[in-house]
Amino acid sequence: MTAVSPPLRRSRKAPAWLPYVLISPTLLIVLVFTAWPTVQAIYTSFFRQYLNIAKFRTPTFIGLGNYRQLLTSADFHEVLRNTAIYVLGTVPASIVLAFLFALLVNRAVKGIGLARLSFFYPTILPMVSAATIWMFFFTPDYGLFNTFLQSLGYHGPQNWLGNPHLALLAVMIVAVWKQAGYLMIFYLAGLQNLPQDVFEAASIDGASWWTQLWKIAFPLLRRTTLFVSTIAVIDAFQVVDHIFVLTQGGPSQSSSVLLYYLWQVRFEDQNVGLASALTVVLIVIMLAITVTNFLLSEREGA
Amino acid sequence: MTRKTVVYFVALLLVLSMALAGCGQKATPTAAPAATQAPAATKAPAATEAPAATEAPAATEAPAKPVTIEVYYPVAVDAPIAKILKGYIADFEKQYPNITVKPVFAGGYGDVKTTIQTTIEGGGKPPALAVMLAADLYDLVNADYIIPLDDFIKASPDGQAYIDDFFPAFMANSKYDGKIWSIPFQRSVVTLYYNADLFEQEGIQPPDSWQALAEAAQKLTIPDKRWGIEWPSGWPYWLFQPLAIGNGQNIIKSPTEVAFDDPKVIEAVQFYIDLSHKYHAMPEGVQKNWGNAPADFAKGAAAMIVHSSGSLRGILKQANFKVGVMAVPGKQPGTYATVTGGGNFYILKGVSPEEQQAAWKFIQFVTQPKYAADFSIQTGYIAARKSAYDTDAMKAYIQKVPQAGQIKDMLQYAGAELSCMNLGKVRNIFHKYLQAAYNGEMTPEEAMKQAQKEADEALAMFK
Repeated sequence: MTAVSPPLRRSRKAPAWLPYVLISPTLLIVLVFTAWPTVQAIYTSFFRQYLNIAKFRTPTFIGLGNYRQLLTSADFHEVLRNTAIYVLGTVPASIVLAFLFALLVNRAVKGIGLARLSFFYPTILPMVSAATIWMFFFTPDYGLFNTFLQSLGYHGPQNWLGNPHLALLAVMIVAVWKQAGYLMIFYLAGLQNLPQDVFEAASIDGASWWTQLWKIAFPLLRRTTLFVSTIAVIDAFQVVDHIFVLTQGGPSQSSSVLLYYLWQVRFEDQNVGLASALTVVLIVIMLAITVTNFLLSEREGA
Repeated sequence: MTRKTVVYFVALLLVLSMALAGCGQKATPTAAPAATQAPAATKAPAATEAPAATEAPAATEAPAKPVTIEVYYPVAVDAPIAKILKGYIADFEKQYPNITVKPVFAGGYGDVKTTIQTTIEGGGKPPALAVMLAADLYDLVNADYIIPLDDFIKASPDGQAYIDDFFPAFMANSKYDGKIWSIPFQRSVVTLYYNADLFEQEGIQPPDSWQALAEAAQKLTIPDKRWGIEWPSGWPYWLFQPLAIGNGQNIIKSPTEVAFDDPKVIEAVQFYIDLSHKYHAMPEGVQKNWGNAPADFAKGAAAMIVHSSGSLRGILKQANFKVGVMAVPGKQPGTYATVTGGGNFYILKGVSPEEQQAAWKFIQFVTQPKYAADFSIQTGYIAARKSAYDTDAMKAYIQKVPQAGQIKDMLQYAGAELSCMNLGKVRNIFHKYLQAAYNGEMTPEEAMKQAQKEADEALAMFK
């Protein structure tokens, strides 16, 4: 990147402790709302505690019992597989769509305002409302989604939310639809900040639009892509509201992902210990992804 | 002021404001539900008809000290529950000036339970009163969230007569361990709605057996245009239960014993599948159409639907044909079955005895025949008390909407809703395998055997 940070101006000597004071509010919030619950989750994951069983309401230490239970649970394995499909399916699709949308709305074409609005509209809609609308889109026979597919010559099964092979795909479609417009904003900002002279130079050299896009724009937007992919991955793990509305993880758990399953274990089964163990698993996965992402960015940025 | 002090001052202010924001954030979860209350200004029409003094239960016992109680309630049907409740509360407060009732709309049934649970576990104060699922009884008792109501009942004049006035089918979900834990409030049953005009046109009698039901559905099906029957199965246990009960074996035997793999239950699963695979009268597989089914029925895209009795009002509003209601036919000719559902009043632990007393007074007040009848008429729920059906308002309503009376009469065929220890877990197990059978991933027998095995494991801890 060409941007060089301006030299820090230190005209007056700031007290040594000032940075700590300035960072303390953030630090405090992170400690109270992130670090402490994490520690607590790790701690309770070593205990057996069911809130709906009188004799197991008081926690008893069972070591790694909850983790052992997870490892041998067929449900958990299925949920992990669903989560992997969900994340690997929705994140790249959302990013590619976001980039294409951004390219499209970045041009000064008549009526682009409407396109911008329609791409961004899903973002401002609350997920539960959006999912309720999609519920009707997915209706067999006369639902908008099925009618649309039929007009394209689709004759496959229409029971998107009730079919065990389609339900996960259905919730993924809604997630991509919701997410792409949001990520588009970052690409749009990135595109509009790109220096125009390199494109002009490339045009003079006879580079095609396609070459300019992939050889210049995309590499220059690398940092944006990195940021976008990080938040897209985190959101993919975090946003499950539409599953509550559309499928309740069904049929037969086929659209249940990690966070939804965690909610079921905690609030339906009332199994606090197992839910804590699941939380720890979730944290470890997210941490691994974030650290990998960070290390990659450091390496590439060097 | 030197520049340095300004920097310090700004930094300090920043810290303070952020810390405050942090506290505010922490307080949000508990404060949020209260903020969503319906505007107080609207006054329900019911509020104007103050109850006659004679109907009032023991007005003299009103506590001397002012008491404020909260009541958490869900909205699960297409009716202005918030407005209706506000009207009742206004009447109540007129009669008990020392008691203030704050209704808190908390979402669906699940949200009410989750809010209360997180409040209690977070060390907060729960509401004195809540409307939660009747089937949640064992979980709530085991979690130690609720108190038994026997002392209140004993202390009330005519306490026993009061309890005996509730339909036994509804009270079935209130009793455990020789005690009464909840009072039926917004209750419903599974109902088979049929297009009576179509039946007449085709010369079909209302079905009185599985065979007759399947044949009627088959005859009324027009491919790509009309289904003979729609039977939602996205959250399937409740609408499935009448099939099992109608074959002589409910899926639940006791709070710690389920009968998922009983041959009669397996046969009931097979019958559901047959409706689509053998008779081609119902969409195949798991049907995620709870929300659409009433509309499909009303516009003629389905000749029959199985749904909650609570949908009656909405269906009658939309349908331009004669709507028939009945219990689900059983396997043997002349047998019928249904199952109860809906929510009850629970009084919670962790609030003062005065508040619990006030909560009990409020329960008694809104379950008076007059209010029970009004609530039923306005919402479509079944009035939980027999005497509500003797009120003039209810008699006039049934004259106008005979289906409401027929639905009440279906209570004689009602079995108990799935309610047991470890309910969330057991229900999820049943859903998983029932849907696997519906979708043809397993045979009904394989599915129900596996469900039984896993449910037995989930219930073993309670024996």
